[in-house]
Amino acid sequence: MILQGKRVALPPAPVVHRQFEKHAQATPDAVAVFCAGQRVTYAELDAKANRFAHFLAAGGRGRGAKVGVCLDYSIDMLVAILGTLKAGAAYVPLDPAYPAARLQLLLGQIPGLALIVASPATAGLVESAAVEIVDLEQLSGRLAELPETGPDIPVTGDDICYAVFTSGSTGTPKLTAVRHEGWFNLMNWLMLEYGLHSDSNNLVVSALGFDLSQRSLMTPLFCGATQYLMASRNFDAAMAYRMLTEHEIRTVHCASSTLYLLVDWETARRGEALTRLDYVLFGGEPLKVERVLDWARRPGNTCTLLHQYGVAECTDVATSYDLAEYRPGEHDIAPVGRPAYNTDIHLLDERLCGVGVGEYGEICISGTGVGAGYLGGTGPEAERFTTIEVDGAPRRLYRTGDRGCVDQAGDLVVFGRMDAQVKVRGMRIDPTDIERALGRLAGVREAAVVVADSGDSELVAFIVPEGDELAENDVRARLLETLPRNMVPARFINISLIPLSPHGKVDRAALVAMCRNQYA
Amino acid sequence: MIADQVRTIWCRELQRDDIALDDDFFALGGQSLIMARIQAAFIEELGVEVPADQMFLNPTVASIAAYIESMDAVAQ
Repeated sequence: MILQGKRVALPPAPVVHRQFEKHAQATPDAVAVFCAGQRVTYAELDAKANRFAHFLAAGGRGRGAKVGVCLDYSIDMLVAILGTLKAGAAYVPLDPAYPAARLQLLLGQIPGLALIVASPATAGLVESAAVEIVDLEQLSGRLAELPETGPDIPVTGDDICYAVFTSGSTGTPKLTAVRHEGWFNLMNWLMLEYGLHSDSNNLVVSALGFDLSQRSLMTPLFCGATQYLMASRNFDAAMAYRMLTEHEIRTVHCASSTLYLLVDWETARRGEALTRLDYVLFGGEPLKVERVLDWARRPGNTCTLLHQYGVAECTDVATSYDLAEYRPGEHDIAPVGRPAYNTDIHLLDERLCGVGVGEYGEICISGTGVGAGYLGGTGPEAERFTTIEVDGAPRRLYRTGDRGCVDQAGDLVVFGRMDAQVKVRGMRIDPTDIERALGRLAGVREAAVVVADSGDSELVAFIVPEGDELAENDVRARLLETLPRNMVPARFINISLIPLSPHGKVDRAALVAMCRNQYA
Repeated sequence: MIADQVRTIWCRELQRDDIALDDDFFALGGQSLIMARIQAAFIEELGVEVPADQMFLNPTVASIAAYIESMDAVAQ
């Protein structure tokens, strides 16, 4: 079973920052970024990014290098990102909301890390003897002496533009790399298919480490529109809603759970700002469609909800579905729709043979969006990138580990995972990553983590204590020092023994059943 | 007392019978969905919009109440 995306030709050099530069030439005085009362035009942002690119290239941090970006949302963040791309390097977003211990673990996984851009507010989190840290503010004197025209470093569509951390299956996060061509194709598809243009102003509401945040950050600059950033390290519903009310914002990219928050916020206040948007592009976790349906059907609501599916390994989005087509009687689960341009979805069995119409298979992705793979180390995940033969020709393909089928209308529907990985609030999480962190805590002999559904999906940890039962608050507080908040379980349950399956693996189904009993 | 009003809101949204002045929001199981509800309650019941970043920096009833009092002082 193959779902084919439309074939749309890309320019000979599908390089993301070239598209931004076109707008800087055509509409130099248009506002590119607005943040905390400050604004920068396309020409100004281009000049600042060019200077930073010269700085990187002169220091031998050009093509092929990796530049860490550990900044709060700000104009400087986009200077750092665009400058890195112009230098021919790839950026790695490092979310300053993460605990320092987690950021240090991630830093150790970035091969060829040349430099980290930080600010006085974030530098302490990423301090490292091995890597230089620069602050654009402090650097401004030196940057002012560099040319404001582009360094014109040759970059190809196959070069890496960014790399983000995704959950692996071995308990350590993996760094997955995206190519310019894939990212260009994604934003070109959004622009042409959905008619995004120079008024398609966007508000970023997601955390920096997400793959969707990279798209949210760059798409308006790709379309010549204005990017609105919130000077907030953490998601701030009140501030986000106020920004939507006060500014001409047309698009929001977010995880499904963030959409629920915004819809709830609007519903409680009888507001209209969200209904006036052109698009909310959302996904990343199973959609609870009842959380948005009443709002979506409000009279006068002109906002199109695009329910999307994809994986970081294949440039973030692979398919899209207009939720207006959803019929509660016909669908159990809201579909994720049809493929992006130059993208195919394959449903395969364990021998990598196609399954029939209506049958379940592993969702595999081929086409322009397939990324450059994992950087540094060849874990078992590397095998997820493989090659199959389609119509007699070899095709590079990524096996997502997600399970799905194609419905009668020809839309893809996703039904959970083939393995133990889980999705909670938009983030793919490997429970063994959390189990390892728990196992390192004093007093914990063994731990297992599962997802329970008590209305909202949440992580539940089962702990076998060394001695006395461990207090929930204490374990949670200690875990918060090493893990991002979205990976810290909502509940902790002391248990004397972790149940095992006949094969000797953790019996996750039994644990999920125990959660259900606890709620009952 | 603002601290009492804050405590009442926290207890309701975190579904706890009682919370000490220095209990940590995250250690109590707080997360972003609950935080947004508390932020909304602060707006509706106390008339102040507390930035999410301040709620992260002041994760106890005592410290967030002190922050809100300082906001009020500035407003006056």
